[in-house]
Amino acid sequence: MASSRTVALREVPPRDASSQEDLLPGRWSRAASTVVAGTLMSLGLRRRSLGGTVMALASGALLYQGLHSRKRAPSTGGRTALRRVSTGAEARREPLVEVERTITVGRPAEELYRLWSEPSTLSRLMAHFADVTSTRGGDGRHWQIHGPMGRELSWDSRIVEDRPPELHRWESTEDSPVKVQGQVRFKPAPADFGTEVTLHLAFSPPGGALGEALAKRMRGIPAMQVMKSLRRFKSLAETGEIPTLDHNPSARVSAD
Amino acid sequence: MRALCWNGVNDLRVETVPDPEIVNPHDAILRVTLSTTCGSDLHFIDGYLPTMKAGDIIGHEFMGEVVEVGRDVKKVKKGDRVVVPSFIVCGSCWYCDHQLWSLCDNTNPKPEYQQVAFGYPTAGIYGYTHAFGGYAGAHAQFVRVPYADNDCFLVPEGLRDEQVLFLSDAAPTGYMGADFCGIQPGATIAVWGAGGVGLMAMRSAYLLGAERVIAVDRFPERLAMAEKFVGAEALDYSQVESVVDVLREMTGGRGPDACIDAVGMEAHGTGPAYAYDRAKQALHLHSDRGQAVREAILACRKGGTLSVLGVYGLMDKFPLGAIMNKGLTLRTAQQHGQKYLPRLLEHVAKGELDPSFLATHRFSLEDAPKGYEMFKKKEDGCVRAVFTS
Ligand SMILES: NC(=O)c1ccc[n+]([C@@H]2O[C@H](COP(=O)([O-])OP(=O)(O)OC[C@H]3O[C@@H](n4cnc5c(N)ncnc54)[C@H](O)[C@@H]3O)[C@@H](O)[C@H]2O)c1
Ligand SMILES: [Zn+2]
Ligand SMILES: [Zn+2]
Repeated sequence: MASSRTVALREVPPRDASSQEDLLPGRWSRAASTVVAGTLMSLGLRRRSLGGTVMALASGALLYQGLHSRKRAPSTGGRTALRRVSTGAEARREPLVEVERTITVGRPAEELYRLWSEPSTLSRLMAHFADVTSTRGGDGRHWQIHGPMGRELSWDSRIVEDRPPELHRWESTEDSPVKVQGQVRFKPAPADFGTEVTLHLAFSPPGGALGEALAKRMRGIPAMQVMKSLRRFKSLAETGEIPTLDHNPSARVSAD
Repeated sequence: MRALCWNGVNDLRVETVPDPEIVNPHDAILRVTLSTTCGSDLHFIDGYLPTMKAGDIIGHEFMGEVVEVGRDVKKVKKGDRVVVPSFIVCGSCWYCDHQLWSLCDNTNPKPEYQQVAFGYPTAGIYGYTHAFGGYAGAHAQFVRVPYADNDCFLVPEGLRDEQVLFLSDAAPTGYMGADFCGIQPGATIAVWGAGGVGLMAMRSAYLLGAERVIAVDRFPERLAMAEKFVGAEALDYSQVESVVDVLREMTGGRGPDACIDAVGMEAHGTGPAYAYDRAKQALHLHSDRGQAVREAILACRKGGTLSVLGVYGLMDKFPLGAIMNKGLTLRTAQQHGQKYLPRLLEHVAKGELDPSFLATHRFSLEDAPKGYEMFKKKEDGCVRAVFTS
């Protein structure tokens, strides 16, 4: 299962196996304020109940908007409809979701900069929620997020600033249904620690009370995904592979 | 393949599950030859360690034969007989470089759990909760070992399986605990818990130069083992009014130079403090019963070392004041097996260490639930139940 989460999303399967959370109903969660374990649990629960999907970097608000903008104007044809919705909200557009996380990687900045720019890297880092492919001779990227019931949200991005080996900055193209800005920075760390890698992402989904409410509910989850993407990058850079539970045997249907 | 699965609190069953596969280039697949129970498993079997999921394959102390290797595996070969430390390590991060193997930065595919609980995630473990990565465990016919070149240790010819099996977990844990004590000539080391981990800590304390080792437990068979196989002095805590007083008298009024906790979060005890712990644990207001570690803190001589091997979650009533005012050094970790394996294999080869006495009971994998039942209840003098698949 190269992308178990995506699969889970597409099929929205019922939970086939109970977890310990279910076996101890309320016990752990009751103690959540005092027992760290409780925090662990509820994190797991929340993650699950969101379908494990939408926690995509794009955040629920984004995805929701994207899906609904298509639904609302099916006859006008996908792309135009999407553009209309996003420009309509332009006036009150503000970044609802902005995340920055840093990790230290035990490799020199030049090497990390190079690895980040390789066409296959982003798709490997984001494999847990998005398909990222190269466009236009490898410079731009095409992003695709799978939504429930086979719906998809996609956009293109292109590099807008490139300062090897310090920084990459990219933005979604004008015709994108969502406005996305991202940058990654590489800074030497002290002693033998290597390089501090900072990933910054900002999303400006179109307005709407529902979109805002959803974004609020999902606060913290995109940050976790950014953190996980950075960790995957670190593992790839330091070891040449990313730790995975693909094909992990268990008596459940899902691998993880 | 067949594998022992956790299905809920106190519900273990052997089930048919898919075989593991090579998924990453540094992976190896092992045919498990022997695996064994560990006190750490009891913490989630009893429901005190969260983030297990029904259907998880458990087991993290094991050895086996390599049957397949990924394309980037260089040293390990098909057919090798190997023992594998319970923590999975990458061998190339800062922590691995600094011999802090169980803190490896690259082997926990689910870092989000520990990041919330502890601030930063540790390495992954086989078959030991999703907070520790969610990897399939080793009470199975086959297991996937990531980063095989760093995690498989070749067993020299001439050593029997049962002599090296415990080098996977109990022995390096105990050895690390003794190493933490900074043992000086003439030192007295007291060890709480005479299970597999405690017994290995006692033996290691002697190997590292201790003059006296005192074993604290209440099971006569285990205390007898400590005397017979290790040469330790036995102290049955259920027979004395105050362990701290007895230890003080045994050490000329000074206290042991270092105290090792090899008990963990399910310590048994007596008196009001124990009743308090039990009640809170039952209500899940905290996850730990801390009798043993509290005693160890109080018993330790001024300026001595407290070495904590027992596994804990969140514990209150932890007498930090005693540690601070007495100037104790606190050392603790999940086992850094990869650091100690080469030297432990040497000790076994030279006949200085033979952990095989821990293997008190043997079962087929199909009977593993029975083995755990016996191990958990410490029936019939069971110290470690060993499974053959
Ligand atoms: N740090 C590590 O890497 C690591 C590795 C393996 C195990 N562990 C932990 O070490 C601990 C021991 O493991 P084990 O496999 O030997 O377990 P075990 O259950 O076989 O042994 C625990 C022993 O502690 C004794 N005990 C209970 N309460 C006591 C008290 N108040 N005073 C003195 N002794 C008491 C029990 O009688 C028993 O003999 C567990 O908490 C386990 O999770 C840690
Ligand atoms: Zn263990
Ligand atoms: Zn590492």
